[in-house]
Amino acid sequence: MQFLEGIVIALRSLVANKLRSILTLIGVIIGVMTVIAVVAIISGMNKYVETEISSMGSTTFLIRKFGMITSSEEWFKQIKRKNLTLKDMEAIKENCPDCGKVGAEAISWRKVKYKNKHLSNMTIVGATANITEIANHDVYEGRGISEFEVEHNRQVCFVGWEIVENLFPNEDPMGKDIKIGNDYFRIIGVAKKKGTFLGDNQDNFVLIPITTYQKIFKRSMFLMVFVKARDFMSMQEAMDQCRLILRARRNVPYDKEDDFAILTSESIMDFFRQFTRLALMVMGGIASISLVVGGIVIMNIMLVSVTERTKEIGIRKALGARRRNILWQFLVEAVTLALVGGIAGVAMGALIAKILSLTTPLPSAVEGWSVAVALFVASSVGIFFGIFPAMKAARLNPIEALRYE
Amino acid sequence: MLIRTENLWKVYEMGAEKVNALRGITLQVEKGEYMAIMGPSGSGKSTLMNLIGCLDTPSKGDYYLNDRLVSQMNDDELAYIRNKEIGFVFQTFNLLPRATAAHNVELPLVYNGTESEERKRKAKEALKMVDLEDRMTHKPNELSGGERQRVAIARALVNNPSLILADEPTGNLDTATGVDIMKLFDKLHKQGNTIIIVTHELDIATYADRVIHIRDGMVEKEERIKH
Ligand SMILES: Nc1ncnc2c1ncn2[C@@H]1O[C@H](COP(=O)(O)OP(=O)(O)OP(=O)(O)O)[C@@H](O)[C@H]1O
Ligand SMILES: [Mg+2]
Repeated sequence: MQFLEGIVIALRSLVANKLRSILTLIGVIIGVMTVIAVVAIISGMNKYVETEISSMGSTTFLIRKFGMITSSEEWFKQIKRKNLTLKDMEAIKENCPDCGKVGAEAISWRKVKYKNKHLSNMTIVGATANITEIANHDVYEGRGISEFEVEHNRQVCFVGWEIVENLFPNEDPMGKDIKIGNDYFRIIGVAKKKGTFLGDNQDNFVLIPITTYQKIFKRSMFLMVFVKARDFMSMQEAMDQCRLILRARRNVPYDKEDDFAILTSESIMDFFRQFTRLALMVMGGIASISLVVGGIVIMNIMLVSVTERTKEIGIRKALGARRRNILWQFLVEAVTLALVGGIAGVAMGALIAKILSLTTPLPSAVEGWSVAVALFVASSVGIFFGIFPAMKAARLNPIEALRYE
Repeated sequence: MLIRTENLWKVYEMGAEKVNALRGITLQVEKGEYMAIMGPSGSGKSTLMNLIGCLDTPSKGDYYLNDRLVSQMNDDELAYIRNKEIGFVFQTFNLLPRATAAHNVELPLVYNGTESEERKRKAKEALKMVDLEDRMTHKPNELSGGERQRVAIARALVNNPSLILADEPTGNLDTATGVDIMKLFDKLHKQGNTIIIVTHELDIATYADRVIHIRDGMVEKEERIKH
């Protein structure tokens, strides 16, 4: 009853004075909103990265010119490095006993045409034959590129779902020739639909033999070498062997660091974890400042409420309300205020996460636990900042309170 | 003996100045009595009522209610006594403006943990006693002055207290309505309630069995009224 009454009083005063309510709750709303939105985005991303990386497998690693770049200085340093070449890949294949499969790919972006239709900015991947196995392209129809086709610079291609959907809406794509630049490529296989990751459409690729790629796109050869270790136990050895081979081939002095990066699923995860930690820290900062500000505003409103209702407190005390009854009443009111703010914050945070994931590359998933934590924190703010006004109310002398006009 | 006070003093300290609102009040009230307190303005009537009603504690002296020494009790113990033993009726009604008549009457029951159903039943019963069962859902601003005071009386009755205290209950009412209220107190007295009423009108005071005259914080004289 008392409980309910406190909630009703709080809600009623919120509804009665809408502008004041919004101003009262804005701090809590922003705080909670930040928590919900950031956690949603981080966990959405983490989920994706995790499934993505687990599909890359724990025995696969990637060698490329660039490491995980976190600053512009790093970028400027790494852009000067020598590109990896197909010869590097061959050397690894021959000299690394613990490497099971070795493949490579290079990427650029071009317009793709078929008859009168075209798609711009398609990812053109030059790849070795085994890349479909190493880099996880599931075949929907036809087959991947063969060793023979790589050896003989054939103009064939294995295409992503987007190509099929847009260029062959009512046609069987198999055996058709699509045009990239001035060259035609025959479709020999179609990959299963993969969806998007960080806004990256994963289905808009055209995979061609790397030798053909090299001939056509001479200048854009940021080659990535994929290595699948013989087994999990030989992963470290395989990486060490690759490192030695490449350092020797690229003439890296013994006292200098590698001029290439070896990325494992673990190192990519690490990068994401680091990113996540930073985002959570920023979020924590924003959220705590707004929650403290929000709490102070609630405290002020509650102090006003106590003063406005001094007479009521006097009446209640005269009729037998004890200190804890009055304390409860105002505490419930403060917590209700904070919780309303918290709920509004959850709703807005979820909305922001949704909008962000629709309009930007960031995926998102609102987490149940973050909602629970946010609401718990909001009510704690209500209790913490409500306790002082509530105690002030509870301690009022009944006669003085009754006499208050 | 329901009430026994011994040499009650109340001193208000206003900075350096001291106001002796009560200067040694000794009085006794028996169960079932109907007593009026009279006196000029500022003589200490309300101060005495507040002490008897356990809203305040004396500066000096002892106060026994139902043979329990209440003058030494703390805040929460006094709240318990107020809830259980005392029903207040104020000059300005002191109803919660946003609550209905029924809810106002239920309030004392809220603070002794009575179940919701039971509260509703008792509140209805009390409002019936003051002839207001058809105004249960009215808010105070939808009631006349006399009706508001009757709601306040129902509220004072609802917990079945040992003692009903009324500080100038007719002070804000016109004469005819005041008479209605006094008749109501009469009826409550006949039903066995103990009533103490503060007034400065002799007409009102003569409803009681006994009148105590206070001046300058002391009992000046005491008289029995023959009805
Ligand atoms: N809280 C207080 N602080 C200081 N002085 C007070 C306080 N309350 C009452 N007094 C003083 O104590 C004296 C008695 O006041 P009280 O209210 O008991 O008078 P009363 O007999 O009820 O008067 P009235 O008939 O006008 O209501 C007065 O002189 C008043 O000024
Ligand atoms: Mg008075």
